[in-house]
Amino acid sequence: MIWIWIAFAPILGGLVYGGERVLRARMQRRQGPPFLQPFYDMFKLLDKRTLIVHAPHALLAVAHFFALWFSVAAIFLGWNLLYIVFLHLFAQIVLILAGYSVRSAYSHLGANRELLMLVAYEPILILVAVGFYLVSGSFDIAQIVRGGGYLAQMPLLFIALLMIVPIKVKKSPFDVGEAHQEIVGGVEIEYSGMFYEFLYMARFLEYIFIYSFVFIFAGVSYALGAALVAGVFLLVNLVDNATARVHTMHMVKIIYAVAMSLAIANILWIVL
Amino acid sequence: MLLTLILLPIAAAFLILFSSKYIQYFLSVAVLASGSYYSILLFTSAENVSFYLSSFFNTVIIAADIVLLLYFLYQGKKYNSLKVIVLAAVQLLLFLYIEHVSAGHSAQVVVDGITKFTIEYDTSSGHSAEIAVDELSRFMFLIINIVGGIIVLYSVRYMEDETATPRKKQLFIAAMFLFLSVMNTLVCANSLMLFFFLFEMTTLASYLLIAFRNDEVSRTNALRALWMNQIGGVVILLGVLVAVLGFGTVMFDTLLQHSGGVLFLSVALLSMAALVKGASIPFDGWLLGAMVAPTPVSAMLHSATMVKIAPYLILKLAPALGATLLGGVLSITGGLVFVTASYLALSRFVFKEILGYSTVALLGLMMALAAIGTKESMMLAMVLMGFHALSKALLFLAAGVLEKQYHLKSIEEMSALVHRAPKTVGYILLGFVSLTLPPFGLFMGKLFAITSVASLLRERPLLLIVLVSMIIGSALLVLLYFKVSSALLSNPSDTLSAEEERIPYGFSLPLILLSVLIVGTGAGFIVIQHDALLALLALPLIFVFVLPWIMRGMERYDRTEPYHCGEKEPFDTALIYYEPTIRVKQMIYWSFTLLFAAVAVVGALS
Repeated sequence: MIWIWIAFAPILGGLVYGGERVLRARMQRRQGPPFLQPFYDMFKLLDKRTLIVHAPHALLAVAHFFALWFSVAAIFLGWNLLYIVFLHLFAQIVLILAGYSVRSAYSHLGANRELLMLVAYEPILILVAVGFYLVSGSFDIAQIVRGGGYLAQMPLLFIALLMIVPIKVKKSPFDVGEAHQEIVGGVEIEYSGMFYEFLYMARFLEYIFIYSFVFIFAGVSYALGAALVAGVFLLVNLVDNATARVHTMHMVKIIYAVAMSLAIANILWIVL
Repeated sequence: MLLTLILLPIAAAFLILFSSKYIQYFLSVAVLASGSYYSILLFTSAENVSFYLSSFFNTVIIAADIVLLLYFLYQGKKYNSLKVIVLAAVQLLLFLYIEHVSAGHSAQVVVDGITKFTIEYDTSSGHSAEIAVDELSRFMFLIINIVGGIIVLYSVRYMEDETATPRKKQLFIAAMFLFLSVMNTLVCANSLMLFFFLFEMTTLASYLLIAFRNDEVSRTNALRALWMNQIGGVVILLGVLVAVLGFGTVMFDTLLQHSGGVLFLSVALLSMAALVKGASIPFDGWLLGAMVAPTPVSAMLHSATMVKIAPYLILKLAPALGATLLGGVLSITGGLVFVTASYLALSRFVFKEILGYSTVALLGLMMALAAIGTKESMMLAMVLMGFHALSKALLFLAAGVLEKQYHLKSIEEMSALVHRAPKTVGYILLGFVSLTLPPFGLFMGKLFAITSVASLLRERPLLLIVLVSMIIGSALLVLLYFKVSSALLSNPSDTLSAEEERIPYGFSLPLILLSVLIVGTGAGFIVIQHDALLALLALPLIFVFVLPWIMRGMERYDRTEPYHCGEKEPFDTALIYYEPTIRVKQMIYWSFTLLFAAVAVVGALS
C-alpha cells in the first residue's frame, strides 16, 4: 500500500498543484486553468522538441527529481527526519549545481537565490526535527506519528515552519527563487521539453515534502493532519495573493530573525 | 613500532639533504608506506604502551627548550618585534621557574641512563611515564602518518616548480619530515613539559615554513603566527605552573586524576592553548596569514595535522571537562567560532583563505564536541578530525595544483575553470561535496553530532547554543562551498570540446590516494554503523556513477544556446560576497576576546 503512495507521489503532488491553481484563481475571481492542467502540461511538454544546453545540465534536473522522490519516499516509509532533511539538501544542491553549469545570467542568479533559500530554511527544518525528537524521543517519523500533542508543545516551531512553507512552494512573499518578472524562472529557464517536465514534477514533490512536515504535527490523528494541511494550504495562498515579493537578503534576515528566534524559544521551552 | 614512527621521518629528513630528485620521491614513498603500515598496525593492536624517558633525555629536552626560546628571543630582536621578545622572555622565565619548582617537588625516577629509551609498563607509583600511547594517540598516528605522508610526497613534486636554491628545497622537505616526527611524539606526550616543548617545536615549524618565501608579506605573517602561538606557549606554562604548585605533577594523567582545587584553572589554561593553536577567533589572523606559505605547508600544518592539536588537546582534557561549566563555556566558544568563521569566510576571495577560514570553523566544531565530553561526542570529534584531515588535504593539494599549473589564487580568476582544468575541478568538487553532503564521512559526523547534542539538551540546556551554531554554521558552509563552485562551473555549452588536462604524476598520485581514502573511509564509516537506512543515503550517489553511460544517450537531443534576453554579448555573473561592517567585525573580535578571557575566569572560579 505504502509503495503505491510512493509511486503516485508525483501525481498526488500534481493534483495539489492543480488544485492550488484553481484555488488562487477563485481567490482572484478568475476562471483559471482546469484542475488537471498540470497533466495536460505534461503531455504538451513531452510532445515538444527537446533542446538542451549541455548533457550534464539536463541530467542534473533528472537527478534532482529522483533525489527528491527518494526523500519523499523516505517520509512515507517513516524514516529518520534528519536523514530526510539532508536527502532533500542533496537534491537541492544537485539543482543548484545545474543552475551554475550554464553560461546564463538568469540561471546563475536563480542558483544563487536557491542557495540563499537553502541557507534560510534548512536550519529551521532541522530545528523542527530536533523539536519532534525532544517531544517524542525519536527522529523516526514512524515513531513520531504514533505520538500526539505536538501542536500544544511546539506551537512556535509550527509557526516557524509556516514561515518557510512559502519558500519551498515558491509563493509570495518568498518566491525569490522563481521570480518570473525578474529572473524569468531562475534555474528553470534553460530547460525545455522532457527535461523541463522533470523539473515541473520535482515541484509537485516539493509540495508533498513540505506539507508532510505540516502533516506530522498532528501526530496520530490523520484527520487533524489533513485539516492542518488544508488550513496551511489556504493560508499560504491567501498570503501569496496579499503580499509582494521581498528581496532575497531580506528573506534570509526575516527567517533568521523571526523564525529562528521562535524555533529556539520553543526548544528552550521544551527542555527547561 | 612507536620508535619507527618517530625515528624514521628523522632519518628520512637527514637523508633528504643528500639526495637527488628521484631518491627524494623514493624516500617519501617509503616513509608514507611504512608510516601508514605501522600506524595502522598500532591502531589495530589496541594496546596502551608507555615509556619512561631517561633523565639524560629529559635534560636534553630542557636544554633544547631553552635554546628554542632563546632563538625566538633572537628572532624577535632581529625583526624588531616587541611582542615576540616579550612573550619569549615571559616563557623563558616561566619555564625556568617551573623547572626550579618541579625539581624540588617530585622525586625523579632514574631509569637506565645508557639506553635512551627503556620500555617499562606503567606500574610504578607516584611518577607516571613521560610518553603514553592511548587510543587517542593511535588515532592521531593514523592521521599524521597517512595524510601527512601523502602531503610530504606531494611536496617533493611541488618543490620542483618553486624558485629556490636546491639546498633550500631539500631543507624544506627535510623540515616536513621532521615535522611528522614532532607530531608523532606530541600526540603521545604525557609529560606536560614534553608537550610544551613539542608545542613550541610546531610553532617553530610554522614560523620557519611560513617565512619560507622570505618576502615581506611572508615575514610579517610569520612573525604574527609566531607571537600568537607564543601566547599558547605562555598559557601552557601557566597551566603547568598551576599543576605543579597545586598537585606537584607535570603529567597529564596524574593531573586529570585529581579533582577540585585548582584543577579547573590548570585545565582552563591548557585549553586556552588549544584555542590559540586552533586559530579560533580572535586568533584567526595567524592562520589566514599562514596561507602565504607554500601550499604543502598550508595542507600539512595549517589544516591536516598541526592545527589538529587543538581538538586533540581538548579531547585529552575532556575527562576533567565533562558536564562542568568550564566544558560548557569551551563548547559554546567552539560552536560560536564554527558559525562566525563560516560567516567570515564568505567575504574572502583568495581560495586558500577560504579553505583556511573553513578550517578554523570546523576546528571550532571539533573542539565544541570534544569539550562536551560525553563518550559519543568525543568519538564524533575524532571522526570529524579524521575526515576533515582527508578532505582538507585534498582541497589544499588541488589548490596547489591550480597555483603551480595555472597560476591561480583568487576565485575571481577561476571562472569557467572546469573548462580548462576539469580534473582539478573534479577533485575540488569532491572535496566540497565530501565536506557537506551525504553519504560522506564528514557529513555523517555532523549528522550524528546533531543527534548527539540534541539528546543532551534536556540535561544541559546551554548546549542549545552549540546545536544552533552547528546547524547554522553547516548551512553557511554549504553556501560558501557552492558559491565557490559557481565560479568554477560557469561553463559555455559542451559543443566546445574541452582540452585535455594533464596533471603531473607527482601531483595526481597524492590526489588520487586522498580521494580513494575519502570514499573508502566514508563507506567504511557507514558500514560500521550497522544502520541499513544510513547506507541508503548513499543511493543518490549511484547516479554519479551511471552518469557517463547516460551521457552517451544524450547525443540525440539538439543543443541550444542559453537565453540572454535578446542581448548579443552574453554577460558574466559576479560572485556574491557577504561582509560584516567594520563595527560588526570589531564587535565580533571583542566578544571572542572576552570569551577567551572568560575561559580562564571560569577556570579560576570553579
